[in-house]
Amino acid sequence: MSNNSDSQCYFVQLQIDGYLDGDLSEAQQTVFMSHVQDCAACAKEFHYAQVVQDAVLELPQIDCGDMVLEPIYRLTDDTGSQRLAAEKQHSIASRLADLLNAIPGFYRYGLSAALVAVIAVAVSFNVPTPSEDNLNSEQLIASENEQQYSPEEIAQALNDLNLAIEYLNQVSQRTEVMIADRFLVTPIQDSINASFQRARIRESDPLQNGPI
Amino acid sequence: MRALYQQAIDRHRQRIFSFAHYSLRVREDAEDVTQEVFIKLWQHWQKIDHNKLGAWLMRVAHNAVIDHVRKQRPQQANLDQFAEVDEQVGARNEEAKLDQDLFKQQLRLAIKSLDDPFRSIVIMRDIQGMSYGEIQGSLDMSASQVKVYLHRGRRKLRENIELRQLFNEQNDGVSGIKQSVVQAATNDKGNGHVQ
Repeated sequence: MSNNSDSQCYFVQLQIDGYLDGDLSEAQQTVFMSHVQDCAACAKEFHYAQVVQDAVLELPQIDCGDMVLEPIYRLTDDTGSQRLAAEKQHSIASRLADLLNAIPGFYRYGLSAALVAVIAVAVSFNVPTPSEDNLNSEQLIASENEQQYSPEEIAQALNDLNLAIEYLNQVSQRTEVMIADRFLVTPIQDSINASFQRARIRESDPLQNGPI
Repeated sequence: MRALYQQAIDRHRQRIFSFAHYSLRVREDAEDVTQEVFIKLWQHWQKIDHNKLGAWLMRVAHNAVIDHVRKQRPQQANLDQFAEVDEQVGARNEEAKLDQDLFKQQLRLAIKSLDDPFRSIVIMRDIQGMSYGEIQGSLDMSASQVKVYLHRGRRKLRENIELRQLFNEQNDGVSGIKQSVVQAATNDKGNGHVQ
């Protein structure tokens, strides 16, 4: 008899969540409620389940501050603008290529050969002496640097660097432990690496620009 | 694309952050998870089925929370203690807090202490009000599995000793709940984890 009651309690308590969710049929509900009304232990368990369930349902949704998402917006800004710039540059390059292709082959190759010859002659007449070489070395390096990176590229690299520094500051403020493992650093490093990589690629072949 | 991305963030940020916060109980960790989820969204924007964006985000958040718990496991005990003491000290400072608030604080800790997937399903269903279909999509489970895990999760939640003790004390009319929590906070105060 006692075992029967225990097993009934067990099954009724298994049905508590079903009852609270409204998943029980009417007949099951009737059996459930009649047992709960007669059994103090099950009544207490049911009341406890109701209290817990109500408290869980009352727990609020929490929102993160805008500060948390600000770096993400900036990251996407940078990536998006880089992509747009790359697309724009690509379109200019493709237009130039189209223009060159429109010139007949004879003139195109003939003009190129003539241009190369003129440059070679000009260079051979203007080879600097060793002293001139020393004097002009800084200017040469400066002009070389100017040819390698446009102001936009330098500004972009600086932006990426600042973004990375800002990220690292934020992360290190939050925790001094395991900073290297933080996942935020990696995408930024990737972004910086990608921009440097792209700068290198751009140097060798301007047509190979592409988004990160 | 960027406008759509921002719309997606605005639409889902609360759900993602809430999920992470109730799972991890440390705000900074929840913020990290939220950022990670939205960075992944940006990275995979072109490949995602945008009709199932909510489920995709919750799946990423769920995985991120699990990864976070694994990474932080050696320090987790300390963090738990900190969160607990923090809340208890908060309770001590506001002595007028209702028993109900204490109960909810303990409830949050109890939710956090659940194992996965019980914890995730209880949070998604009972706190975030997600449908079984959404949870199914997020966790890659059948609807019946979700339901079984939900009911088991709730039972496990009710089996939390501290929570049950609080309930019993409140319902037996014992007025020493706050006193016991304050006592616990005083005992734990010198754990040295956070100065």
